[in-house]
Amino acid sequence: HAQANFTWRMTSFYGPNAAFYSTGPGSAKDLVKRIDDMSGGRLKIQFYGAGELIPAAEGFDAVSSGTVEMNYANSYFWTGKSFAAQYFTAVPFGLNFQGFNGWYYDGGGAHLWREVYDRFNLVPILCGNTGVQMTGWFRKEIKTVDDLKGIKMRIPGLAGRVYKELGVDSRLIAPGEIFPSLERGVIDAAEFVGPYLDRQLGLHKVAKYYYTTGWHEMATASELTVNKAKWASLPADLKAIVENACAACNVISEAWCQKNNAEAMEDLIKNHGTIAQPLPDDVVKALRAATDKILAEAVARDPVTKKVHDSYMAYKAKYDDWADRSETVYHNKIRKG
Amino acid sequence: MPYLEILATLMLVAFFVLLLGGIPVGLTLATTGFVFGYLGFGTLLFNLLPHRIFGVVTNYTLLAIPLFVFMGVMLEKSKLAEELMDVIGLAAGKLRGGLGIGIILVGVLMGATTGIVGATVVTLGLLTLPGMLRRGYDKGVACGTICASGTLGQIIPPSLILILLADITNQSVGTLFAAAMLPGVLLAGLYVGYVLLLGFLRPDMVPAIPPEERAMISGAQLTGKLFRVVAPPVGLVGAVLGSIIAGIAAPSEAAAMGALGSIVVAAVGRRLTFNVLRETVQATTRITAMVLFILICAQVFSLAFRGLQGERLVQDMFEFLPGGINTDIWFLMLLIFVLGFFIEWIEISYIAVPLFLPVFISAGTDLVWLSTLICINLQTSFLTPPFGWSLFFLRGVAPPEVTTGDIYRGVVPFVLLQVFGLVFCFFFPGIATWLPKAIGW
Amino acid sequence: MPPTEKLAGGIDAFIDLVGRAVSWIALVLALVMGANVFLRYGFSLGWIWAQELEWHLLVPITLVGMSYAMLHGDHVRVDVLYARFSPRAKLTVDLMSAVIAMIFSGLVIWLSLAYVNQSWSIGEGSANPGGLDYRYIIKAMIPAGFVLLLLQSLSQAIRAALAVKAA
Ligand code: NA
Ligand code: NA
Repeated sequence: HAQANFTWRMTSFYGPNAAFYSTGPGSAKDLVKRIDDMSGGRLKIQFYGAGELIPAAEGFDAVSSGTVEMNYANSYFWTGKSFAAQYFTAVPFGLNFQGFNGWYYDGGGAHLWREVYDRFNLVPILCGNTGVQMTGWFRKEIKTVDDLKGIKMRIPGLAGRVYKELGVDSRLIAPGEIFPSLERGVIDAAEFVGPYLDRQLGLHKVAKYYYTTGWHEMATASELTVNKAKWASLPADLKAIVENACAACNVISEAWCQKNNAEAMEDLIKNHGTIAQPLPDDVVKALRAATDKILAEAVARDPVTKKVHDSYMAYKAKYDDWADRSETVYHNKIRKG
Repeated sequence: MPYLEILATLMLVAFFVLLLGGIPVGLTLATTGFVFGYLGFGTLLFNLLPHRIFGVVTNYTLLAIPLFVFMGVMLEKSKLAEELMDVIGLAAGKLRGGLGIGIILVGVLMGATTGIVGATVVTLGLLTLPGMLRRGYDKGVACGTICASGTLGQIIPPSLILILLADITNQSVGTLFAAAMLPGVLLAGLYVGYVLLLGFLRPDMVPAIPPEERAMISGAQLTGKLFRVVAPPVGLVGAVLGSIIAGIAAPSEAAAMGALGSIVVAAVGRRLTFNVLRETVQATTRITAMVLFILICAQVFSLAFRGLQGERLVQDMFEFLPGGINTDIWFLMLLIFVLGFFIEWIEISYIAVPLFLPVFISAGTDLVWLSTLICINLQTSFLTPPFGWSLFFLRGVAPPEVTTGDIYRGVVPFVLLQVFGLVFCFFFPGIATWLPKAIGW
Repeated sequence: MPPTEKLAGGIDAFIDLVGRAVSWIALVLALVMGANVFLRYGFSLGWIWAQELEWHLLVPITLVGMSYAMLHGDHVRVDVLYARFSPRAKLTVDLMSAVIAMIFSGLVIWLSLAYVNQSWSIGEGSANPGGLDYRYIIKAMIPAGFVLLLLQSLSQAIRAALAVKAA
């Protein structure tokens, strides 16, 4: 019998050609193509980068009201709508890629995410991950907690709030202005994504110290949000196709990041004189204490956040224990032993 | 031709008719957008209009507009701008076109502080147009010089166009900034050359200050006046630029330094009164709103153009193109130039550039060079009649005796200079690619 | 004086009053940004909300300023042909423009109500912890600004219609 065909629009938080997010393996455009291929053209999606149809930060509302069917973004851009959204992208000192996938697919994360987004008429689906990000680029070396005091750093979102506790002057600067601001010393430090995308922005040309492993984003998940009514209108097979394409892109995008970040990091250190090192232990400790304090405040303010936080942390406790006996042993004893 | 493409074409025709019929620019954009969009796809896409309007009025980089306008209006209302042109003219001595050259240089300085055309054109217009007219400059030449100098900021970093192109072509912003530096200087040089040539061929259009008037003032007096009259505004622009270079302020913040600085300068010159301040904030608000209202209305037009799949029109043309990468480059250049008659640069970059990009990447075209060519071309779109942003912005602050026709007439030679600059950069790619490598950006 | 003309006069006076009051925000904007730079550069002090306040201020300048600019005839047009029109033809174009502005304002108001309501119903705040909350207030300035523009274009329409009749 005749099957219905769907022509949908997808907007994005990222520019139409942004590497990783919009183009390349596991990106939004790749997702669109996979859905098209798998559905034999029954679900056609037209992709619009940020600014093409609507500005970057408007996708959530546009899908919520049903004018656009889908949007590609990271949930933590929507903490102004619900603070709980933070947990579905990354939490400082939170889960890594494996841990987050465990929470999402098997630990109740996906279910909670749908619950949180339900009142916005949105169905969220995990569809990508940059893997671990980096702490960021600093013009001066950070040796003690005191060195952070008065540092002017480009760092948006929750991490910016955490740094603020340690006396950092957290700045909101658009990606396009990071390079000139850091170059001129308007800011002393900047966080962006990871080696591959940071190098593309040219940050290594204006700052020497690259602090590695993003304590604030151990893995950064991308989301596909679908309008709830539109989602309900899809037949079961197309729903399955969307969900499976998203799961595929989740893995494929992370793999892309691992490979390209590894190459970029090697290039930065070998050819560009970048000094890559972790933050000193007492700085990490201070950041962790500040994170705990701020998350506790957020949990106390909002019951939805508390519910998500509790689920996330309960899963994390189990995962950490297991990781200590598996991954940690692998990294410390088997790989290096 | 499919229904939507016919509508898209008709929309462009109707746009011209209303625009030339004298309907205000913003309302022309909104009307054609709504009517043809509605005929094409109904109301659905227009639900996105509030999202786009919110994007315009909360756009951080647009803050440069009220701040620079504030600076310009303050210098004008406190009568600091009035003598400015006279003194520059006197300092230029018997050199014909001296005023024009002064304006081009101020345009370069201001261009290095912001990438927002509205901010520079309006400020330059307020500061310099009345003075040039009083000194007998041809209206067209005066307007053309201001519009062209005011758009130099689009190519001289920092520049919004380059930031967007870096995003679209996946290049480093720093590399593109460095690449555009020399082409920007080249264009400024071309402008200066043109004004000098005019002084030679048509002295009546760019007159020097008459010798008898120059004789009335001694060298020492002139130096004193230069210091008193020219130093404040030029120093102000210098301070804005300096605060960026010294890393004190980001570009948009530096504009605020300029606005506050203008209050200080007026106060030091004992020209700051409550009335001056009141008139300044009022004019600033009206001019800013005028500029942003056109941008808001342009959102309707853009949505309609997208909804009618105007990008298909472009794609179809591309299909018919004979091979060869240089043909593709020139087709892209021509396309951007022609689109510049109708729509604004952001839409052009999103519609035209991504379409061609895969072709250029697979052919191994130097994207830094290509981006520079695109940037020069997009800068030109600000100047091309009938729909050129700088032309409208200048019209908004020009004295009533200056008509849109004067402005249109005046920019034509500058558009030709732009084309010349573009061709030059095409045949000598080194002018774009040398500096980024030399300074390692 | 016909009552319509009185109405137009009343609208003009009201828009002028609102525009004059709001225009001081331009000064506030410069002061806020200047203070942010001064405190950061001099004392490494800064607040997320103070940075967000900068672009918040552009919203009333623009949206309230639109009607104020219209009152003072600051919106630009291409006058290549218009300048050669007869006085009556000019007035007709002016009347058309005012009516178009009214329709446009009405459409934007209608389209933006749902947008504002969406933000209000979820109590939308800043996406940056420590930022300015109550985001629906600045979103509500879209319909509010266009109500003012609707009023001002009504006044322009009345004046143009009366002048067409008299001509
Ligand atoms: Na510039
Ligand atoms: Na143009």
